[in-house]
Amino acid sequence: MMIRFFAVVERDLLKFKRNPVVLAMSILMPVIYLVILGNSFQGKLTDLPVAVVNQDPGPYAKRILENLRAIQAGPRTFSLLGMSDQGEAVKGVKEGRYKAAIIIPPDFSKRVALSARPEVGLFLDNPDNISAETIRNLFGAAILSMRSEYVPIRENAGEAHLRDINLFPKVDYYQSLVPGVVIMAIFLGTLTTGVFNLVMDRFLGIEESYLLTPLTRAHIVSGLVASGLSITTGIASLILVVSMLITGIPLSRALGQILPLFLVIVLATLCLLSLMFVILGRAGHPRIVGVLSGFLNVILFFPSGAVYPIASFPGWLKAFAKINPEAYAVDALKAILFRNAGLAGVSGDIAFLAVFTAVTLTFSILAFKRTL
Amino acid sequence: MQGTRAIAVSEITRKFGPLTAVDRVSFDVGEGEFFGFLGPNGAGKTTLIRMLTTLLVPTGGNAVVSGWDVAREPAEVRKRIGVVPQAMTSDLDLTGYENMDLYGRFYGIHARDRKERIRSLLDMVGLAQRANDLVATYSGGMRRRLEIARVLVHRPALLFLDEPTIGLDPQSRHVVWDFLRKLIEGDSMTIFLTTHYMEEAETLCGRVAIIDAGKIIAMGSPAELKAGIPGKDIVSLAVGNASTELAEALGGLPFVHEVRPEDGVFRIFVDSGARNLPALIDAVRASGGAILSATVHEQSLEDVFIHYTGKSIREEEARKVSFFVGAGVPQKLG
Ligand SMILES: Nc1ncnc2c1ncn2[C@@H]1O[C@H](COP(=O)(O)OP(=O)(O)O)[C@@H](O)[C@H]1O
Ligand SMILES: [Mg+2]
Repeated sequence: MMIRFFAVVERDLLKFKRNPVVLAMSILMPVIYLVILGNSFQGKLTDLPVAVVNQDPGPYAKRILENLRAIQAGPRTFSLLGMSDQGEAVKGVKEGRYKAAIIIPPDFSKRVALSARPEVGLFLDNPDNISAETIRNLFGAAILSMRSEYVPIRENAGEAHLRDINLFPKVDYYQSLVPGVVIMAIFLGTLTTGVFNLVMDRFLGIEESYLLTPLTRAHIVSGLVASGLSITTGIASLILVVSMLITGIPLSRALGQILPLFLVIVLATLCLLSLMFVILGRAGHPRIVGVLSGFLNVILFFPSGAVYPIASFPGWLKAFAKINPEAYAVDALKAILFRNAGLAGVSGDIAFLAVFTAVTLTFSILAFKRTL
Repeated sequence: MQGTRAIAVSEITRKFGPLTAVDRVSFDVGEGEFFGFLGPNGAGKTTLIRMLTTLLVPTGGNAVVSGWDVAREPAEVRKRIGVVPQAMTSDLDLTGYENMDLYGRFYGIHARDRKERIRSLLDMVGLAQRANDLVATYSGGMRRRLEIARVLVHRPALLFLDEPTIGLDPQSRHVVWDFLRKLIEGDSMTIFLTTHYMEEAETLCGRVAIIDAGKIIAMGSPAELKAGIPGKDIVSLAVGNASTELAEALGGLPFVHEVRPEDGVFRIFVDSGARNLPALIDAVRASGGAILSATVHEQSLEDVFIHYTGKSIREEEARKVSFFVGAGVPQKLG
């Protein structure tokens, strides 16, 4: 009977309403997440401190320095510090003050002119893989183009040039995080509603009084899922709008695709709510939820393609992404927000999310224990 | 005992691993009866009530409640009973009214019927004024009364209460008792209650089963149970310098039914303590003993419990509590 189902839903919503702190945190946390993630884990590196020791008065060393300064002024990857003492520069790298030290020896220009294997020293803070790699590549390019002053005026028409063609409106790094942040909001919402309230009731000993009533397993599970769904989709939609505003994605893009967007958010929420029910359906202590939440977040979120493209994953992780509902949700949200895909364009993702929900929800109802 | 049976239990058993919490218990409760299970902590009362109310599956035997087998048709049983578990189970984040209203909806009761019924129940338990306050602001006694009222919303014919007054102050306890008495008179309900307070069993229940270590050790009306032990009163004499023949000498007196010496205290079963006390004192003095103290009390279910188990319900309590208090070091109480 529906009266029972709605009673379970209403009880849960009432209790949620009485705890405004939970609501405030559910909204604030994903937004803070966007800001922190966007600033700490950026697509590009900037302001890496690099010590430069130039001992060569010749023209080629000057060229290299100019190229480096151009990078410093442009993409701001480096922040260059001119020094005279080679030993001091290397020591600085060893102590972690500089990400690299560049040493141009006194005879560098001479050797270039004589083609006598000119060399520049590059000391890298190699344990910091990402910055070392970036600096090596950029520095290699700076050396290669040091002869560009002598390039003939007339361009070499035979040389191939790359021209970027953006198929879609430009997406900056911040904007590309928006689908991930929405998924994060959904994840947090499903973790603090639905089965969590059951675990809490069990922990407080209140569950007993509900098991004594004629409520069926289906009433209890689907009622909790439904109230978790309404809370979580509400929060996720709000987070979507807020993060679009923060990152400057035109809201018209969401408005134009409101149906597929809503469908993806609802289904992703249902997937995670039922998944949590399967995992935590028999937990008796909220601490178990706490312990598992960090773990679940890492194994679902990072392989979702929200931060790194799934195409670059190793094979086994790609296989995992194939059954990870967050990966389908991220894929669908990206398609809708950045490639203007309609319902048809994300039908594959939606089909997966729907099947995943049906299977896990059925399983969690069947696995629900109606006795103590 | 009335004709039809509200509860029929046969050889019901529940094991938790090697422990048998309820051991082949059989009994019947007639419709309209107020039936109680009296026993110390850990006797198996909660386990038994949970099996009868479908929360635990028996590992042996069976029980038929309101005409349905608890293990095979739990849903049918749940529709017909109201249960107040031992622990407080009302929702602190909800108001008293909301707690009751949601409960009514869990039983499929429609809005119109609910409203009136809840109002009158809240009135009956004296919570009408506090109906719209959060339960978090209620006292223990108020919360318990709300929980009893809550399981009456769907008008069950059979009510189960697991230690309904545990942890309540004496005044709240009496309020709950009065309310339960009203229920059995007015609504002709059947009530099944467990308790470890003999006063509760004695004043409320028409029939009592005494349970210890998972087994029923005696069953009957409080009067019948007390009739099962000799005499009507118990005179307890603490005697200093008691001779070895004193017990025998006291037992030889014509009005003494039985004498039980325990650590210098003689528990003497007689028909009238007040009338027999002087003669008893004379007998002690004649044997050269000195009276340190004398008490006379009417036999209670407590004495019935002692009679069958050799220990007191209260002692059981005290011993158990002392293990907690002493954090592993048992300390002697009293
Ligand atoms: N879920 C359980 N698992 C293991 N032992 C239990 C469980 N529930 C109760 N017991 C044990 O069964 C015995 C009876 O407990 P219980 O029915 O709660 O007694 P009472 O309600 O009379 O105090 C106790 O020894 C208790 O420790
Ligand atoms: Mg108990």
